[in-house]
Amino acid sequence: MLAIDKLTHVYPNGVKALDEVSLSIPRGMYGLLGPNGAGKSTLMRTIATLQAPTSGAITFDGIDVIQDPEALRKTLGYLPQDFGVYPRVSAYDMLDHMAVLKGISNAKARRETVEYLLNQTNLWDVRKKALAGYSGGMRQRFGIAQALIGDPSLIIVDEPTAGLDPEERNRFLNLLAEIGENVVVILSTHIVEDVADLCPAMAIISGGRIVRQGGPVALIDELKGRIWVKTIEKRELEAFRAQHQVISTRLFTGRTVVHVLADNNPGEGFTQVNGGLEDVYFSTLTAARKAA
Amino acid sequence: MLFKIAGFEFRYQLRQPIFWVAAILFGLLAFGSVASDNIQIGSTDNVHKNAAFVIGQTTLFFAVIYMFVVTAFVANVITRDDETGFGAIVRSTPLRKFDYLYGRFFGAFAAAVLAFAAVPIGLMLGAVAPWVDPETLGRFTFSHYLYAYLAMALPILFLTSAIFFTMTTVTRSMMWTYVGVIVLMVFRTTFGIILNKPGMEHIAALCDPFGFGAFGAATHYWTPSERNTLVPAIAGDILWNKLIWMSVAVAILALGYRLFNFQSAETSGRSRKAAKLAQAATPDKAAPAAPIGGLPRPVFNGATLWGQLWARTRLDAVQVFGSPAYFVLLGLAALLSVVNLWLATDVSAYDGRVYPVTRVMMQALSGAFNFFAMVIAVYYAGELVWREHERRTQEIIDATPVPDWMFVVPKTLAIGLVLISTLIVGIAVSMLIQAIKGYFNFEIDKYLLWYLLPNAIDFVLIAVLAIFVQALSPHKFIGWAVMVVYLISTIVLGNIGFEHNLYNYGGGPNAPLSDMNGQGHFWIGAYWFRLYWSAFAVVLMVLAYGLWRRGAETRMLPRLRRLPRRLMGPAGVILALALVVFAGSGAFIFYNTNILNDYRTTLGTEKWNADYEKKYLRYETLPQPKITAVKLNFDIYPHQLKVVTTGSYVIANHTNAPLRVLHLRFDRDLKIDRMDVPGAHLQSNDQLFNYRIYAFDTPMQPGESRTISFATTREQRGFKNSGNFVDLMDNGTFIHDSVLTPQIGMDRSGALQDRTKRRKYGLVPELRMPKLGQPGADQLNYLRHDSDWVTSDITVTTDADQVPIAPGYRQSEVVQNGRRTVHFMADSPVMNYASGLSARYAVSKETYKGIDLDVYYDPQHPWNVALIHKGMKAGLDYYQANFSPYQFRQFRVLEFPAPQGAFAESFPNTVPWSEGIFFIADNRDPDRVDMVTYVGAHELAHQWWAHQVIGADEQGSTVLSETLAQYSAGMVMKHMYGRDMMRKFLKFELDSYLRGRGGDVLEEEPLEKVENQQYIHYRKGSLVMYRLQDEIGEDAVNRALRHLLHDFAFKGAPYPTSLDLVKDLRQEAPADKQQLITDLFEKITLYDIKTTKAVSKKRADGRYDLTLTLDAKKLYADGSGKETEAPMNETVDVGAFDIEPAQKGFSSKSVIALQRLAIHSGVQTVTMVVSRLPKIAGADPYNTMIVRNSEANVTKVTTG
Repeated sequence: MLAIDKLTHVYPNGVKALDEVSLSIPRGMYGLLGPNGAGKSTLMRTIATLQAPTSGAITFDGIDVIQDPEALRKTLGYLPQDFGVYPRVSAYDMLDHMAVLKGISNAKARRETVEYLLNQTNLWDVRKKALAGYSGGMRQRFGIAQALIGDPSLIIVDEPTAGLDPEERNRFLNLLAEIGENVVVILSTHIVEDVADLCPAMAIISGGRIVRQGGPVALIDELKGRIWVKTIEKRELEAFRAQHQVISTRLFTGRTVVHVLADNNPGEGFTQVNGGLEDVYFSTLTAARKAA
Repeated sequence: MLFKIAGFEFRYQLRQPIFWVAAILFGLLAFGSVASDNIQIGSTDNVHKNAAFVIGQTTLFFAVIYMFVVTAFVANVITRDDETGFGAIVRSTPLRKFDYLYGRFFGAFAAAVLAFAAVPIGLMLGAVAPWVDPETLGRFTFSHYLYAYLAMALPILFLTSAIFFTMTTVTRSMMWTYVGVIVLMVFRTTFGIILNKPGMEHIAALCDPFGFGAFGAATHYWTPSERNTLVPAIAGDILWNKLIWMSVAVAILALGYRLFNFQSAETSGRSRKAAKLAQAATPDKAAPAAPIGGLPRPVFNGATLWGQLWARTRLDAVQVFGSPAYFVLLGLAALLSVVNLWLATDVSAYDGRVYPVTRVMMQALSGAFNFFAMVIAVYYAGELVWREHERRTQEIIDATPVPDWMFVVPKTLAIGLVLISTLIVGIAVSMLIQAIKGYFNFEIDKYLLWYLLPNAIDFVLIAVLAIFVQALSPHKFIGWAVMVVYLISTIVLGNIGFEHNLYNYGGGPNAPLSDMNGQGHFWIGAYWFRLYWSAFAVVLMVLAYGLWRRGAETRMLPRLRRLPRRLMGPAGVILALALVVFAGSGAFIFYNTNILNDYRTTLGTEKWNADYEKKYLRYETLPQPKITAVKLNFDIYPHQLKVVTTGSYVIANHTNAPLRVLHLRFDRDLKIDRMDVPGAHLQSNDQLFNYRIYAFDTPMQPGESRTISFATTREQRGFKNSGNFVDLMDNGTFIHDSVLTPQIGMDRSGALQDRTKRRKYGLVPELRMPKLGQPGADQLNYLRHDSDWVTSDITVTTDADQVPIAPGYRQSEVVQNGRRTVHFMADSPVMNYASGLSARYAVSKETYKGIDLDVYYDPQHPWNVALIHKGMKAGLDYYQANFSPYQFRQFRVLEFPAPQGAFAESFPNTVPWSEGIFFIADNRDPDRVDMVTYVGAHELAHQWWAHQVIGADEQGSTVLSETLAQYSAGMVMKHMYGRDMMRKFLKFELDSYLRGRGGDVLEEEPLEKVENQQYIHYRKGSLVMYRLQDEIGEDAVNRALRHLLHDFAFKGAPYPTSLDLVKDLRQEAPADKQQLITDLFEKITLYDIKTTKAVSKKRADGRYDLTLTLDAKKLYADGSGKETEAPMNETVDVGAFDIEPAQKGFSSKSVIALQRLAIHSGVQTVTMVVSRLPKIAGADPYNTMIVRNSEANVTKVTTG
């Protein structure tokens, strides 16, 4: 159980990346959804002991993360949003190295760990190749392999699917899904499907604040009967926005499909649809931006 | 389009900080080189600071180091687009590749050129700085600056720009450009060293990409006045050099165009990557199953920490070892070392050679290899500290459960491993060269103790500092810049008087090495400093740990706030312990360097000398008694580094008036235990200068003698900050009497020579010798003013296992209480010039014609003992037959340790020779000058020319000792090796003389007025005397010398002068050679003799007519080098040969004809009939004359 209490982080240039964020994250997969620049990575890095917050507290299973980062690191698995590799080092060697750093000092235990994880992440065949030559997906799979070393009880995965092609993304999400339910896994992403596919619990972050949290199913339920769709011409959009609470627009065969949030039928040509997580996300963001 | 792009690029560069930083930095450096005494590039004392030559050389120098800046300007103009991602956009425009590439290049190049204009501007401003001594400046000439900037600097900037631009653009990697910088430097240095040989000047001039060689060759023999006013014409070597290298630059630019791929670097990189992976995916082993019971859990205990430490260290070290830059650096270091090591056995004196003993090789290794080790330490400290950030692995690594110290410690260990491996490679290269040179005595222990251990510590100290700096610095480049500034500051601080190693990080006294003495006691001080700085390095490491950037926080303030928490616990304890060791060892060092010894700086010593001169030089001419008898007792304690001296002088009043005071001077570091001057009281005791004035209670009457006695102690107490006293050693003490005993009256020894420094301290600008023939000057000999000929009685005591030696005959030897006492006495008066020696010697004895010839040598160096014996016998035979009998029954040669110098010195019947060159001389190659015989003969000749006849202390004094000793040794060589083989030797003397002329700090004097200028009394002296005996005959010269000996040997004042020698020579020379003697001794005479053509034609009788076209010129020069032509009308050797003289295989059999023919000024032809077809012919083929262009004296013979 990870508890975050009134976490605030102000960068030297005055940007408030986190603004009194409080979260309570149970075991299992937890999605943290937010647009770019919402403060996701700052939050992830702060939980991962890489950054001290301006104020606030984080505790994980009785560990005061800010006062005692060393204790958390012993049970932490972290896949940063963007990470590089050393040149001329193979996946096997690097994983072995990471295993040593993570306290798997027994050689046999380490070999078991490394080989199992390589296999698990489907990197076995290329284990002796330099990481620098890996494709993006392979590199992300390596990233999750190193995060899983030592059977951590807190796993932080920051934007893991950004830039992956659909096939690689699928493979990666399957990998995540296999992680046990007894650990806390925080999946930070701006891709709604990632959360929808995997997470029984989630929060939406925007402008450094948690603007919504709960289970995806419950959140979708809240919108039941309030999402209306209409297909319009692009030139009508401006006028349309003035009239309705537009939560999202997308193009379909050159025309614009507009999602509108309304308790009753907003008018001619609208169809009621069952909202998805995406509608939850966009409606939350729209509301949050209006409030700000 | 080209111009638009270039203009855009130019304006872009002008907005970059590098432009302003470079301009300001180089402007300041250039300004400082003129306006500060502490930066001096190429200016010798009598050349103006704004001399054309100095402007040229300084500009060249700056242009070469400017290449590091050039890389910053031009290298990334194209790759910049890849990094910003802008490249794809640029390349999708309808831009031509040509315009894009060269537009960018020329824009950046123009910016680099503009920034470099700061150098001439700085030089000009420096010359108008109000504090610059106007005497050191000449007339301002704008064109000299313009010439240097346009003709010398611009080609270098263009070449380096072209190379680095092309390299980076083609490889798309800055690293290869840095590698390129180093390759270019090494290329230039290597060729510079290899081609730094007489005869190679032209090739060297053409091969040098920077034009230093061409500039050097053109100005090689320039005199000060030429250096002040002339710039070399852009012709000959200089023109060719520029043409060749400009073409190379253009070719490189063109090559860049061909190799540059005008499409995005990213695309090509990606396809390469995919290809690699496809190749890689080959399963080779069955995939493992899941471990039973889930993944192993981490364990955190001591073993984990060791494992982590090793893993991090290994990763960091392997990253360095695996990086191409390391291989390149190591390879370059090895390559440069090979050159250095190969040449280490060439000692400059007479092109001689020494054995590659470990000490010599290690010194050569230190030169090149250590520079690279330092580069590696500083460079990789930056790389390692920033590696995780640059590779973007820091978030993964920082989030692992490793303790905070697990970053700085493994990185330091890794650098240590890298440095030690690097040094080991150096040792391996050194031993390889030893083996190639046929030397198989590999002394691993010496390599480890003398080289590896001290250097490893010193470089790790630098690495730790660099790591600390990088840990604090906000960027890798800033960290590197700080380190470069630090390295420069260590040099500058020393120059401005901050020399104490207690605040010069990593500094300490060096431990001079010797096979005889090992590191002696010298290592002790050096290692105290290492302990002191290592403790400080630990402090730095703890702080680096405390401030390490772990995680995303890179700001300084939060890291400082975090520091106290990190210092809690063991880190704080280590910090405290290190501070205790630092303070403790610092206090002990301070006690040694500042309390047991005086802490002295170079500037402080200069001032001391100046003050000494101001206070006491006025007593120089004060009448004083003379020493007539010397009795000394040297008690040498080799292991305590101590000599206790007791002694007495009999002093006599040789003046015509009563003497009321006695002035006594002692060496600055000598402790006076007792000084007894009977019948006198101490009137003044100046302890600062160790100068005492006694007043006689009853004045000394003319002719009266008295005895004074004294006791002194000279010892090395503890250790000094620098300049430990090397005369006293565990094994190999060699100490002069002058640092152990009083001298009477003031003289000029120790006075400052440098004109600028003298002016700075308000002294007369120069202290010149009395003029030749100045009345009264012949009353003093130049060796000691307080003595004429004395009786000498010296007792030396040392430890029983060492042999004590002093001049004189061995009278008795007693061994008692572990001490050996030997009593030496000369049975006739000698020069008051003595020394005490003590070492564990092996002795080789021989009696030759009633004279004992002994060689005392270290058992490790037996190589030349037999040759020394042979030389002694040849010398004795020649000198006794041609000069006069040898005055002693003994002659001995002794080895002394290398740190005391690389010279030989002649005391009465005793000649100490350095371990440094003579005892390890390698005479296996018969094509080289036999320097052992030559120097041996020179020193033996001093037994006549110094110890029988000694010059008066006025101009020309050393002609009677050094020049005549050179002549004598030359004759021994001529008779041993033959006249035809003398060219090698004469050519060396000629080149040394001509080079010496250019660098004289006073003014050049004719030989008879030489003022102790070595290039005149040795080098020109050899040439003059050799030519004289060639022209008037050896017998005539020797008759004159016998006459000189007859008139002056063993006689006191008046002492002979060079005028007496010239008079005796004129007596023996025929009328038509009187002008020659004038030219040789009384004028500075130079010749230009060129053999432009040699044509041979077969005659009916089967012999050949050889017709030579000669161009001859004779010049007289004045003291500053101004020349006036004089009509030439003399005879010159003209010869025809199968092989060029002094070249491999040349012997007397190669000589077809050698005749003395009349030559006059101008172009002329001479003919001779020769027996067979010659290959080489020319005038003055043996270099007996002072010909400036001695390479052009012979030419290939063509058939016509």
